[in-house]
Amino acid sequence: MRTQQNIEQFGYRQELRRGVGLTDLVFYGLAFMVPIAPFAIFGTVYSESGGMPALAYLVGMIALLFTAASYAQMVKAFPLSGSVYNYAGRGISPPVGFMTGWMIMLDYILVPCLLYLVASIAMNASVPGVPVWVWLIIFVAVNTVINLRGIRMTVRLTRIMIVFELVVLALFLLVGIWALFQGKGSGFSLAPLFDSEAFTWQVMFAAVSVAVLSFLGFDGISMLVEESTGGSAQVGRAMRLALVLAGVLFIVQVWVAALLVPDPAGLAAQPSDTAFYDAAAVAGGEWLRHVTTFATALSWGLANTMVAQVAVSRLLYAMARDRQLPSFLAKVSLKHSVPSNAILLICVLSVGLGVWMSTREDGVSLLSSLINMGAMVAFIVLHVSVIVHYSLRTGSDSVWSHLVAPLIGAGILVFVVINANVLAQVLGLVWLGVGIAVLIALYALGRRPSLTGADRP
Amino acid sequence: MSSLPLHQDLYLIAHDQAGKPLVHASSLAVGLAGAALLDLLLAGHVKVGSAGLTAEGQAIGDAVADGLLAMAAAGPDPRSLLKQASMGDVYGRVREGLLGSGVLVRVSRRRMGMLPYTRYELADIASIVRASSGVRSAVEGWKTPDARCAGLCGLVAVLRLESQLYLDQPAARLVTRLREIAAAAAPPVGRLVETVDTLVGEAAVAVYR
Repeated sequence: MRTQQNIEQFGYRQELRRGVGLTDLVFYGLAFMVPIAPFAIFGTVYSESGGMPALAYLVGMIALLFTAASYAQMVKAFPLSGSVYNYAGRGISPPVGFMTGWMIMLDYILVPCLLYLVASIAMNASVPGVPVWVWLIIFVAVNTVINLRGIRMTVRLTRIMIVFELVVLALFLLVGIWALFQGKGSGFSLAPLFDSEAFTWQVMFAAVSVAVLSFLGFDGISMLVEESTGGSAQVGRAMRLALVLAGVLFIVQVWVAALLVPDPAGLAAQPSDTAFYDAAAVAGGEWLRHVTTFATALSWGLANTMVAQVAVSRLLYAMARDRQLPSFLAKVSLKHSVPSNAILLICVLSVGLGVWMSTREDGVSLLSSLINMGAMVAFIVLHVSVIVHYSLRTGSDSVWSHLVAPLIGAGILVFVVINANVLAQVLGLVWLGVGIAVLIALYALGRRPSLTGADRP
Repeated sequence: MSSLPLHQDLYLIAHDQAGKPLVHASSLAVGLAGAALLDLLLAGHVKVGSAGLTAEGQAIGDAVADGLLAMAAAGPDPRSLLKQASMGDVYGRVREGLLGSGVLVRVSRRRMGMLPYTRYELADIASIVRASSGVRSAVEGWKTPDARCAGLCGLVAVLRLESQLYLDQPAARLVTRLREIAAAAAPPVGRLVETVDTLVGEAAVAVYR
């Protein structure tokens, strides 16, 4: 019997050469979430929450910590890199997996479009002479070329981007807190966290339905389970850690920004896509506005889109390979080792939808709500998967982890979905209806959903 | 007919005459590992059991094959072994083997007289003709392919190297024919080619590489 030493003498190692440790898993999750994500949607969250954005992010973090716990359970049961599509398909049944994949697809295929739109709005705030739609086309074109050439985020580049974003955030916080001490803004108060006059549960859950956008991406850590040096347990830890870290950063930055809003009553009544940059300008002047807008454009328009593109490609590839989407989406360009058709599809969708949304005043908030709707519904099914797989199928005795926690997590998300933007609810239902129609068509064509390697553990 | 190991034949088919690879390194590494494993399976050095692979015998003197034999001793399934092998320097080892046997020669030049680069070119262009002759014969129906040749047909199809065969047929039809030949061969061939196909797809959507 040859030993590990024998294996290594041939230049191979037992684990994958590029094993990813806890720190890099957390960094990947943060890169996907973007530590400065609230910069872009602060105005909408402020308005929806009645001036309590910090509370919206706190509730959002708690809700998604339950989701992370359910992810950790499903990753443990099925230690294969995949999305909620895989876990629902294996944990409940392939048709449920298809519908879950269909709903999360609403999130995944719209995310690049939102990222391009937010980055374009940020650039337009700095360079108003160039319209948003022109910036959008530039961002899409640059990213599509990068993706088609097979250029990916590396572990090192992920770290560099996180450090860059944290430096910008630290700069904003330092200048912002100094400005508050100087008497700028509305001074220190607990109002961004809790204001008894403005608080109602409906207002709060409506705000959470937008704020959770900033947390989406923590689930991307599950894609690295096969590369994780600590296996599925480490992936679960990384998800929790990334969520808590991001949550703390989000709460602190929106708290400071909320205290610096130049016209609180006006912003509460009418959301603005540039509210955070306006607050930054109050704190430090025009230079800080430009720093925050440029950082948003760079992190949303380049770094995050590279990560998001991989996620959407993986989902489209997996569903197409399982014959649940047209097979052309599983086509791979061997020259650059990229899913070229999936990349081009996202490019076309992003330009079409992005240009349209750039003409709507509520473009960012509508896209955000739609993305969150898809993700929330998929996460609810994930919680159900834990209950079905562990409590019903394997008869687990762990009542908290496999029954109570998923029930609480699903319950919070149901409230979030119920209180979300009405148009997003309608469009979400339409998308769900189309998914059911596609599922019926698949059955009619004799292509009932099944998962590749479903017999694998 | 070629007398080189299967992975060396595949390496030659996967490069142009100037030594430039025609497919991405991550896909090619999976294909080369698959070819080496197929050789070992067909020669009986490795067997597929219900619990995974088992190595049957001693090192055979080829760096790539011996590396796989060592890994197979741990009893992984073929998918895990190929993934693990492709993460190592399987490409470099195949190239070193071809350099050692004189099939390739190392050529150093300068771009615009300044920027140095190194290429690994064919010592004799007939090598690539020999490497692909079995596949061409199988596709054209001149000769019934054996399991080894069928495996190479499948790998050429998976890596979309059909243009290297210089056959006057539409690419889609050629790929379909190559896949049919692989599927019709003994069971390990078809299954291994399918596994390589899956891993090539997964490499294209990998988070990091």
